[in-house]
Amino acid sequence: MRYGLIAALAAFAVVIAPAVKADDAPKDVKGIFLMSDFPAVTLRPGETSTVSLRLQNYDTAPDRLALSVSGVPKGWTATLMGGGQPVQAAMPATNSSVSLDLRLDVPKNAPMGTQTLTVAATGSSTNLQLPIAVTLAKDLPAKLSLTPQLPELRGTSKSSFEYDLNIKNDSGKKLTVSLSAQAPKNFDASFTEQYGTQELNAVPVDAGQSKTVKLKVTPPNTANAGEYKVTARIAAEDASATTDLGLDITGQPKLDVSGREGLVSTRAAAGKETSVPVVITNTGTAPAEDVELSGSAPSGWKITFNPTTVDRIAPDKNKEVQALITPTDKAIAGDYVTSITASARGESASTDFRVTVTTSTMWGIAGVGIIGVALLVMVGAVARFGRR
Amino acid sequence: MQREGSAFQGLGVVTLKELSDHLTSTRMRVLEWLVVLVALAALYGAIQQIKDTTAEDPFLFLRLFTTSRDPLPSFVSFLSFLVPLMAIGLGFDAVNGEHNRRTLSRILAQPIYRDALLFGKFLAGLVTLSISLISLWLIVIGLGLLLIGIPPGGEEIARSFVFLLVTIVYAGVWLALALLFSIVFRSAATAALVTLGIWLFFTFIWPVLAGAVAQIIVPPDPRYMALGLQTPGTAIAEQVLARFSPSTLYAEIVVALLDPTTRALGPIYLSQLQGAVLGAPLPLGASVLIAWPQIVGMVATAILLFVIGYVIFQRQEVRA
Repeated sequence: MRYGLIAALAAFAVVIAPAVKADDAPKDVKGIFLMSDFPAVTLRPGETSTVSLRLQNYDTAPDRLALSVSGVPKGWTATLMGGGQPVQAAMPATNSSVSLDLRLDVPKNAPMGTQTLTVAATGSSTNLQLPIAVTLAKDLPAKLSLTPQLPELRGTSKSSFEYDLNIKNDSGKKLTVSLSAQAPKNFDASFTEQYGTQELNAVPVDAGQSKTVKLKVTPPNTANAGEYKVTARIAAEDASATTDLGLDITGQPKLDVSGREGLVSTRAAAGKETSVPVVITNTGTAPAEDVELSGSAPSGWKITFNPTTVDRIAPDKNKEVQALITPTDKAIAGDYVTSITASARGESASTDFRVTVTTSTMWGIAGVGIIGVALLVMVGAVARFGRR
Repeated sequence: MQREGSAFQGLGVVTLKELSDHLTSTRMRVLEWLVVLVALAALYGAIQQIKDTTAEDPFLFLRLFTTSRDPLPSFVSFLSFLVPLMAIGLGFDAVNGEHNRRTLSRILAQPIYRDALLFGKFLAGLVTLSISLISLWLIVIGLGLLLIGIPPGGEEIARSFVFLLVTIVYAGVWLALALLFSIVFRSAATAALVTLGIWLFFTFIWPVLAGAVAQIIVPPDPRYMALGLQTPGTAIAEQVLARFSPSTLYAEIVVALLDPTTRALGPIYLSQLQGAVLGAPLPLGASVLIAWPQIVGMVATAILLFVIGYVIFQRQEVRA
């Protein structure tokens, strides 16, 4: 009978609790009450949990109340804590309350089921009892969900693919979520903060909250064109979630300019056109279209190409064009550097060619002529002035 | 009266006789010792300098010729002074000496033409100079091998050989000049003084004078002067004038031959250097081509001086 009354009182106290706050001393309630916000809780075995209790005094003189817990199952430890220390008695002042914590250490092997512990507060005139029902259960399973904002991305093998992933923690507590991604071989996948560069292995997510992280996937330069799949996986405790992300790599031409048989030097006479074979190789994964050739040379030089553009170079194929280099008339003998560039829609490659300029030998011949004239003069003199 | 038969009859005899005279003369010995000792001193300085400053240089051997160590000038600068002295020393009394000894008529009484006499004298002088220069060249290479211990490459040998030939031609120019004045002046002392005077003028005074004359011919542009630059026209005029001196020509040839990175002799515009790989050595052919006008100029000068002397000698009265 009494038991039921106290339970009813406790329930009543719960119901009026908001009212208590609004109106500190209800007029028609009087006495000392032992209360708990949640007198029936679900706990996990093998953990330490606390149940918060309160001793409330309404309009009565302070009384010393001895505290005790009964009905503790074997192997459990139940300790009443007040102000951070184990306490054995409490004494709430008039119209005030004392907060208590019931700390429960539940052994790991405790059987499932509901146990009822009774917290009692016994004073000179009051004898308060509060039953607390403890149900042992596997906790609410941690639940995570992973949602990509843009699950399918497209780019070249040179671009990096960045997926924003939304991690939601649907479980009742804060979780440290570990992040992992499974990408094709030689693909580099790393998680970073959404707005940051710090790479992450795990992020804490508060209960019921969500967090966005970024998964950055960098394909190898040699990746062939095609569709790839990346699986992002998050895990915390026994929960995990995965999502599949698509990666569509469009091929990318990659050009390489060199001379025939790798020879990037040539000789050219000043003011005379010289033809240099230039080999353009596409080492990329997609055909290079409309490859334009250009050259940068010292001022006064002329570089043209025959043909000036190459329509198409398939991957791993090469085409040969002739570069027609004309050094300026005023070029002095020696080595010069000219750079030959092949470009096709954003992709370009250039190579420096060394041109050894030889000056015209015309003056050399002229010089021989001058010496010849001098010798002729001598012969003429010998013939003309020869005398005995 | 026209001669009969070859103008070069007796050339061999004259050449050999002159050669033996030269090689046994005290004058020649003094000149040779002077040249060898001075050149050795310069060479020793160069080797010490090369040993002190060890640096990777693909043309280390050529540095033997061009490196100098205070207070001695380099081997090449010594040569450019001493070779003219040697040539003038050998040639200044070639013809007037015969006059003064009254031997000219006697020689010409033999079946030897004047042509052959003059050719023989010139050739003998040139051969004498060549012998001493070749020995000097071999001494340099041998000492270089001994003291540096690095064998010269083919390119270096080729370059130094061309340098040797050019030096002989340079000697030929001064020999021809000395021969000319020995024909013109009866007094050997006058001929020697005039030749030495011309040598001094062209070697020391003319390079300075060329700059002054160039400024008169092409006045410097004030815009260039404001920038502290030489006006291109003036620079070109100065160089053209300076090149009238065989010493300048020789110096330019030496630079082109012994420094393979030389790409041009004379002023060049910056635009010509755009894209140029500086410090890359030129092949020997290209270097010779750069210096070719100078080489031609020297050869032609030597021939023309000789021809002038020849013509004067042919028209001279020798029976004085």
